[in-house]
Amino acid sequence: MKRLTLISFVLLGALFMSACSSAATRGTSWPGLAVDANNAYLANGQYVYAVRLSDGTKAWQYSVSNGAFYSSPLVTPDGQLIVGSIGTDQGLYSLIPATGQQKWVFSGAKDRWIATPLATNDTLFAPNNDGSLYALKIATGQLLWTLSIGQPLWGAPVTDGKLIFLTSLDHFLYAIDPQSQKIVWKTDLGGSAAGSPALSADGTTLYVGSFGSKVFAINAANGAIRWTANTNAWVWSDPSINASNVFVADINGQVYSLDASNGQNSWSNIAPDGPITGSPLLTTDGAVVATESGSVYSLDHNGKMIWTTAIGGKIYTAPVASGNLVLIAPLGAQYLLYAVNEKDGSMLPWHFDGK
Amino acid sequence: MNWWDYIILNPFTNVLLWIYNLIGHNFGLAVILFTILIRAITWPLNAQQLKGARVMQDLQNDKEWLDIQKKYAKDREKLAQEQMRVYQERGINPFASCLPTLIQFPIIIGLYQSVTRALAATPLTLLQLARSIYPFMNAAGIIPLNSHFLWMDLGRPEGLPFPGGLTIPFLPYGFPTLAIIVALTTYLQTKLTLPPSTNPNDQAAAMNSMMSIYMPLFLGWLVLNYASGLAVYFVTSNVLGIFQYAMMGRVNWRNLLPGGGKPAPSNVKNR
Repeated sequence: MKRLTLISFVLLGALFMSACSSAATRGTSWPGLAVDANNAYLANGQYVYAVRLSDGTKAWQYSVSNGAFYSSPLVTPDGQLIVGSIGTDQGLYSLIPATGQQKWVFSGAKDRWIATPLATNDTLFAPNNDGSLYALKIATGQLLWTLSIGQPLWGAPVTDGKLIFLTSLDHFLYAIDPQSQKIVWKTDLGGSAAGSPALSADGTTLYVGSFGSKVFAINAANGAIRWTANTNAWVWSDPSINASNVFVADINGQVYSLDASNGQNSWSNIAPDGPITGSPLLTTDGAVVATESGSVYSLDHNGKMIWTTAIGGKIYTAPVASGNLVLIAPLGAQYLLYAVNEKDGSMLPWHFDGK
Repeated sequence: MNWWDYIILNPFTNVLLWIYNLIGHNFGLAVILFTILIRAITWPLNAQQLKGARVMQDLQNDKEWLDIQKKYAKDREKLAQEQMRVYQERGINPFASCLPTLIQFPIIIGLYQSVTRALAATPLTLLQLARSIYPFMNAAGIIPLNSHFLWMDLGRPEGLPFPGGLTIPFLPYGFPTLAIIVALTTYLQTKLTLPPSTNPNDQAAAMNSMMSIYMPLFLGWLVLNYASGLAVYFVTSNVLGIFQYAMMGRVNWRNLLPGGGKPAPSNVKNR
């Protein structure tokens, strides 16, 4: 009896410990999602899936030993699918989108891949959790150069064609010259930044949110802050921008429509039903946001709700558009991928369950 | 958020982060100090547990107790009655060593969970951490945590690179120095604090012996696979455990010798 009690005690402890430690060390997180003309690409745990947009069936799935995929895949201009792993393999993989076959793998980083890389014509700029930005030859994955920044890099870089702009958990937004491989300027964001900056259409202004509960407009040429807007909580998501406004959401669940010229919020108290980590998806009618409560909301240009659809689970991944569809990748829902109609929120008959 | 988070996990996480902030953003040192703090708070419980265990252990070697076991070996009901009589006559509570352990258990689990939560290594875990931090703690100023301590990244399993870039499939992080240290200190703690028994039928002694083998292996396996911040906690906790036993005069150094294990002098009298 005593032995049984002891064994039960140890097993109970193991259960508690195992259940609660896996997230921190094995790398569970929310899914990554991207699309091209034919397929949706879903990075979810052990697998990267290609899902046919026409009927929601699986085109292929990809996995590697010790791999775990959560960062949003990237479809490059030359037709590769790049996805990084947060498993112990620490690999950055290039796949052929049509077949899922591996083209190359880069294993030279010291840590896992959480950020989505940036692809230019011939170079892939890949930020890693080890605090370094890796520049790779896009055709082969060959390492060209590495720039050590220091703290984990979780946001995808953007470029104006000359400089690479990159956020870091170290509280700074960096501008990097890929020619000299040097930091041109850096600006303090008052808190970590896990999302990407958004670059205005004319390439002069960067908009970025931070855990300091602020959104910044920053001069892309020199890093000077043009304006700052306060939010109620951390801004995790990348801002989405149109010609006149900057749309962001915070992890308390409030959505903001900021005047791009001065940061004035024109949506007062627009808060759907839960925290928002994914970027608002801009549509012709306004914006679509997905909440941790498992719901999707379409808001018009004044922030008024047009429709809402309950998906289930928890939604952290930003909604992705494909034609008139909005794709949703929830965590812990019945299915891995859902498609809803952008106009009315009605769900398509297909859902992808990974099989 | 559930009651466990409110009562145990969130307070523990915030104290840990408060210490981290106080000592200049060294997470390894914060884990060590936090473990010392928790061990200090639970010191009376540990002492009570040890005392209760010692009384029960002494009873296992008591002549009257052994006689009862022999006499009523085939009559379980009578044996139970006689055992209860001995407990009552000597004022022994057979659960005296269990209750403190039960109280400590959630504290240990909470301590462990707070270490892993604070080491948020992915977006989802960082979001969970953000919600755990009290508003007055200035979470934006604390994050990202500096998880580097000595040669380790406390958010990842520890391992030193094998020479010549050698890779071993079941040791993906390299040579597991900390897992070995944890297993060794756990073994030492268990061995040094085991009360010896001269009774060959002593079930408690048999269990202790089993524990001295399985616990180091179990904790070593945990450290092999999980964040090395956890290993820092285990090592600190083991060393403090040995220290506490030594302070109370309970460490039995003879257990380390081959074939050692003669009873250590006991100053605990049956009540």
